[in-house]
Formats: sequence, structure tokens, C-alpha cells
Amino acid sequence: MKDIIENIQTKFSISEVTKQRDNQYFISVEKKDAVQVVTYLKDIEKFSNFILLTAVDWIEKGQFQLTYLLSDPINKLDIGVRTFIERENATMDSAHHLWEHTATFQRELKEMFGIDFPGSPRVDEPFLLEGWDNIPPMRREFDTKKYSEETYFPRPGRTTNDPAEHMKKKLYPNEKK
Amino acid sequence: MSLKDILSPLSAWRNITREPVTIKDPLNDRPGAPRYRGFHKNDIEKCIGCGTCETICENEAIDLVEVASINAKNGDSGLRPLVDYGRCCWCALCVDVCTTGSLTMSNEYTWVSNNPEDFRYIPGVDKKSWDDSELGWKKPDYDLIPAGRIDMEELKPADREGTFLEIVRGYSRAQAEKEADRCTECGLCISACPAHMDIPGYIKAVREGNMEEGLRLLYETNPLPEMCGRVCTHKCEEVCAVGHSGDPLAIRWLKRYIADQVPFEEYKRILGIQEIEGNGKKVGIIGAGPSGLSAAYYLRIRGFEVSIYEAKSKGGGMTMYGIPKYRLPINMLDSEIGFLEEIGVKFEYETRVGEDISFDDIYTKHDAVFIGIGFEKPYKINIEGENMPGSLQAISFLDDINKDKTVDVGKTVAVIGGGNVAMDAARVSKRLGAEVIMLYRRRVEDMPADQEEIHGAYEEGVQIYQQTIPVELIPDEKGKVKAIKYLKAEMVADDKGGRPRPVPIEGSETILEIDTLIGAIGQEADYSFLPEKYSDSIQTDRGRMIVNENNQTNLEKVFAGGDAVNRTADAISAIADGHRAANGIEKLLLG
Repeated sequence: MKDIIENIQTKFSISEVTKQRDNQYFISVEKKDAVQVVTYLKDIEKFSNFILLTAVDWIEKGQFQLTYLLSDPINKLDIGVRTFIERENATMDSAHHLWEHTATFQRELKEMFGIDFPGSPRVDEPFLLEGWDNIPPMRREFDTKKYSEETYFPRPGRTTNDPAEHMKKKLYPNEKK
Repeated sequence: MSLKDILSPLSAWRNITREPVTIKDPLNDRPGAPRYRGFHKNDIEKCIGCGTCETICENEAIDLVEVASINAKNGDSGLRPLVDYGRCCWCALCVDVCTTGSLTMSNEYTWVSNNPEDFRYIPGVDKKSWDDSELGWKKPDYDLIPAGRIDMEELKPADREGTFLEIVRGYSRAQAEKEADRCTECGLCISACPAHMDIPGYIKAVREGNMEEGLRLLYETNPLPEMCGRVCTHKCEEVCAVGHSGDPLAIRWLKRYIADQVPFEEYKRILGIQEIEGNGKKVGIIGAGPSGLSAAYYLRIRGFEVSIYEAKSKGGGMTMYGIPKYRLPINMLDSEIGFLEEIGVKFEYETRVGEDISFDDIYTKHDAVFIGIGFEKPYKINIEGENMPGSLQAISFLDDINKDKTVDVGKTVAVIGGGNVAMDAARVSKRLGAEVIMLYRRRVEDMPADQEEIHGAYEEGVQIYQQTIPVELIPDEKGKVKAIKYLKAEMVADDKGGRPRPVPIEGSETILEIDTLIGAIGQEADYSFLPEKYSDSIQTDRGRMIVNENNQTNLEKVFAGGDAVNRTADAISAIADGHRAANGIEKLLLG
């Protein structure tokens, strides 16, 4: 696996290499190189299987982190390709031409994070959230609790107790401050 | 159509003999993985109802509810978590954060019911088929709440001999905030505290760096936080939820931290007692110990005119005269009492009621009286030769030391007793350079002294002879203590179910050469100041005054508190007594 990493390093600029296990590495590349690196890994280094594409919202940095996870099922090797993209008007090159099902992951990221992949088939169609009328819910500024309070009804008759208050009521009800 | 199109469907027939990859009965044949996060289980005996699971749940899927078979008691709210599986996302944070480790998850994930209400249940209480399942998610071996307490810097044991410097240095801001950060704010500690202090509230104030709010919260229930922050028996820490899986919060040190941060000159402004409007009622307080001072504070801020009659030359009672300086520097108490003077509490020092002023006088001059006389009179050990020179009582010994009197204890000191006073006497003698041996009739684990006192005594090199019963003091030719004769004892189980009793072993007499004997087997109240017409009306039980829930005695306008009333006999209980009595007096006089 080490020689594969060395091979990539001769062709692309890699900012970080993390060894997770002997057969699993993560590499960080620039946005402009990411899809090229993935293409290289598929065509030259035999990482024929695309496992997933996922995103993390680094709201403090104003960036999204994308991770492409690929595997070589014959030699049982995994590699993750990480890249940062701007959070504002987030756009990334599509990789659906490499594996058809990448489009599904890209459609999911469009819906959940608002990251656009121009040219990716059906990228604007709803994936899970039919009729969603709010900001993409996986963005960290989305207030899940506020949304659910505004959208759903509390269960009638639901009660809870504060331990300290409850103990006062049960153990020393007459004590005042 | 090609030949291939016709033949290929037939090739599927070759699979007919292959083992299927599907599962015949997926509901029964496909168990969850060993660490699967399935339905919750709760060991309800172990659970203390702290509600940390409810607090951490992002989905508000957990409610704390009453359970018929479990009552609230010290350290257990009696509540138990109810999980709503319409909201639960199976993240297991509730299990990971559980302070006792009672909450776990089974690996059961299939359950069918037509009634949606079934999917809200109390794990451990509402019986389920997976309650005994061994597999499933358990608390991992890392802690979401740091298990270790932030270390307190202390004077090293080797450096303590010959000095009365305070042992505990106190937290820095960073340390205090870090320690405060371990608190889950469950509030189980509040009911364990005799004064029911708002502990989670002031710990939150530490975390937020808001010392003024912290001080206000302290004074709501305790006007002696500097003292309590040092020497409180901290019952709160014994029930701390975090203490079930790690060290309990250092509640006492955090209280001390707040009190240490705010200068006394600022107290009036922060507590909002610049001007006190009098209500015309007068209250006389006998004894300036913690209960009397506490009553005085709460009465004074409500406009009562308060006079305290104190036999000694300083206030603080046993905390001033009984607690060595290495645990509580005297200036701390002086400043707290000084603050009471500043807000208008009158102190009549060196005024022993019954000698310098009659009880009758106090009774008629005031609209109400509070008695907080404490346990001043030491019990005798009742051994032969007890009154010879070189035989001391711990209470007066500690008093002399705190007054900077020189006491020559010689080379070897024997201390009789196993309570905190005995520990103080032993550790003080050690500081005077003596070899110290404690004689206690039961075992170390039976000692009523606080664990940390016993630990401190050991650290400083005090020896404890357990199961020893003193029988006689032997004098030298000048009539001064030369040795003590004691018997060894064996512990005999009590038939009535009480704690084991020490029974002397015949022929086990041992003689130990000593220079000084210090008796510390307990004290009692001295009621000789009460004229008969009052002492007949004020009911007592085994030396303690009987009071109602307002700390009122049989005599309507006489209230009482402190060691002479409660059985816990610690400063914080006395403070709580004083507060309750102040409320009672207010109710009596102002309605």
C-alpha cells in the first residue's frame, strides 16, 4: 500500500497522509485535484470499487470536507481521498462518470448539505426529504430542536421530573429559603 | 433473437441445488451483533435517578418518572428513566454517560405491537423479554465525564510537623473551572446537604466565572461559606452521581473557591443588604457558634435586632475553638463574623449566660430567644487516675493551642477516641513534635471520624491501636502521668443486629509509657445556666433539646439548634438549624 501512496505523491500534490491500518490510508488533496486523483486510483491503482462519498461541515472554518472512500476488493485495500471546499456556494466536480452510483451520493449531499455537483444526473431531485422547505438539515446552523418544536406537536400528557425538585417535594416539602 | 437469449434462462436452473444465501426466518434467525444498540435495559437497583441520561438525550426521548415501588431517599431521587422509542435514535449516549452504569442496551431490535403506547416504557420496571440479555451495548471504557477529580495541592506530610500552616492550598481559577465542568447538575446532592444548599447552582457559577452569583447562592442557605468550604463534613460528596463511577465532585473545595475569590468589603453590595430596615423585634441568641451565627444572619437581614451572648472572647464556637488552624485559619472565621457585625448583629463577648447575665434577663428582654450552646462539656473516660496532671481533655487542649498557649505534651501522647475531635487532638500533638498513639475500642472502619481525617492522621505518622480499652493511668513518683494500662478487645457480633461490640480479652493487659493522655470520647451540653422554671419546660432527650420542625422548643418563644439539638453534630447541620429557627421566629413574631 505504501508504494501506491508513493506513486500518487509523484503525480499529485498531497498535503497529508494518514495511515489508519496497514491496508487503509487517507490522503488529503486540493479541490482541483480530487476527482483526478480518484480517477487515477480507479484506472491505474485498481481501486475499482467506490464505497461512498460523504461530507463534514466545518462551519468554523467556512468549509466542507468531502471524503471519497474507495477500495481494491482483490488486494483488500481501502483508500480515502479527502478535500476541503468552500462552504459558501459549495460546488464540486461530479464523479458520476467514473461510477454511476456516485450520482446518488452527490444527490444526497446536495439535499443534506446544499453542495452542488453540476452535471450529476437528477442532482436537484429530492432524495429523502420530499417537500423540504428549510435550509439543508445537515448544515450545522440548522437548529434541529427549534425545527422539531415548530413542526411537530408535543405528545399530550407527557411529563418529566427534575430530580432535585422531586426530592424536595418528597423529603423536605416544608423547608423554605 | 439469438440462441443465447433462448438458452440463458435455462442456465438459471443450475442454481437449484445451491444453498440459499437468504435467511428462512429473519425475525428469529438473525440476532443483533454482540454490541448492537437495541432496546434499553436498566438495573433499577443500581440506578439513582440522576437524570443525566435525560439531559444528554438529543431527541428528548427520555422522561424521568415516578415508580411506585421506589421511594426518594438520600442519594436516589426515586425517579427512573422512561424511553420513548418514537423519538429514540439508538445513539446510546444515555448509556455512555450513565453515572452508575445501570443503563445498558440489549442487542434485541425486533418488537412488534399493535399498540403504539407500548413503545414508551420504563426499562427495568416494565418487564421485557430482553431484560436478561447478556449481549448488547454497554458503557465503553472511556468516560464522557472525567472520572478523576482535579488534584488539590496540599502541604506535604513531611512538611507539616511543627507548623500549623493550612494544608489545603485551594484551587486556581483554571482548576476550579475544570473541576466544575465535571458536574452533571443532577442535584441529588441538594437533599443530602443538611442546609439544602443550591450546589449545582453555585458550581455552575464557578463554571461561568460568575463569583458574585456564586456568593449570592451560598448566602441563600449558608452565611459561613469560608468555614464550610474548608471543614464541612460534605455529605453532598457522598451522594454525588459522578462519584458512582469516579471521584465525586470536589463540592467543598469549589465552595471554598467562590468564598475565597470575593473580598469581604464587597459582600454587602453583592448580597444587596446595604440598608436594613428594622422591624422593631428583638431576638437574643445564646452562643456564637455556627447555629447562632446562622440564625443571627437570617434574622438580621429581615430587620430583627439581634444580640448574641457568647461566653468566650471570640465567635465561631467549636469551629473557632475546636478546629485546628491547619484545617481552618482563624482569620477566615473572624472575617465572616466581622461581616455579621458590619450588618448590625451585636456581639456580647465574654458574657456567660447564667453567670454574667441571667437567662431570665435575656428571656424577658427579647421577643424570642435562640439557644445554640453546643456540646461544651467533655465526657470523662472513667478510668482510674484520670484527673492526674498530664491527663487532658481534647476540647480544652485544642482551645489552648488555637489561643497560641504553649502546651507541653512531652514525647509520647495517647489519644482516646475515634471521632474528628480525637483526630484533631492527635494531629495537633504530632505538630507539636510528639509520637502519637490513638487508642480506639473498635476497629478503624468503625471510627466516626471522616475518612480524610483518618487518612491525614496516617499520612502524618499517627499510629492507631484499634480494639483497645483503656483501664488505668499510672503515675510517676511526682504523681504525673507515666503510662496507660489498656486491654485488648475482640469484636463480638451483636445479637440484636447492632454494630459489633468490643469485649475485653482477659489477661491482655498492656502497659504503654506515655507523657500525656488526651481524652476525646465525646461531649455533652451543659444546661446549668437554665433556671428551673425554664429547664422544666424545655424537654430534652438524652441531653439534646427536643424541637419541632421550626426548631422551636416547648417554650413558644425559645428556639434551639446546633449540636445540642441535632444528632449529626456538624457545622452544616447547625447552620441549617439556625436558618430554620430564623424562619420559625419570623413566623412567630411577624406572622
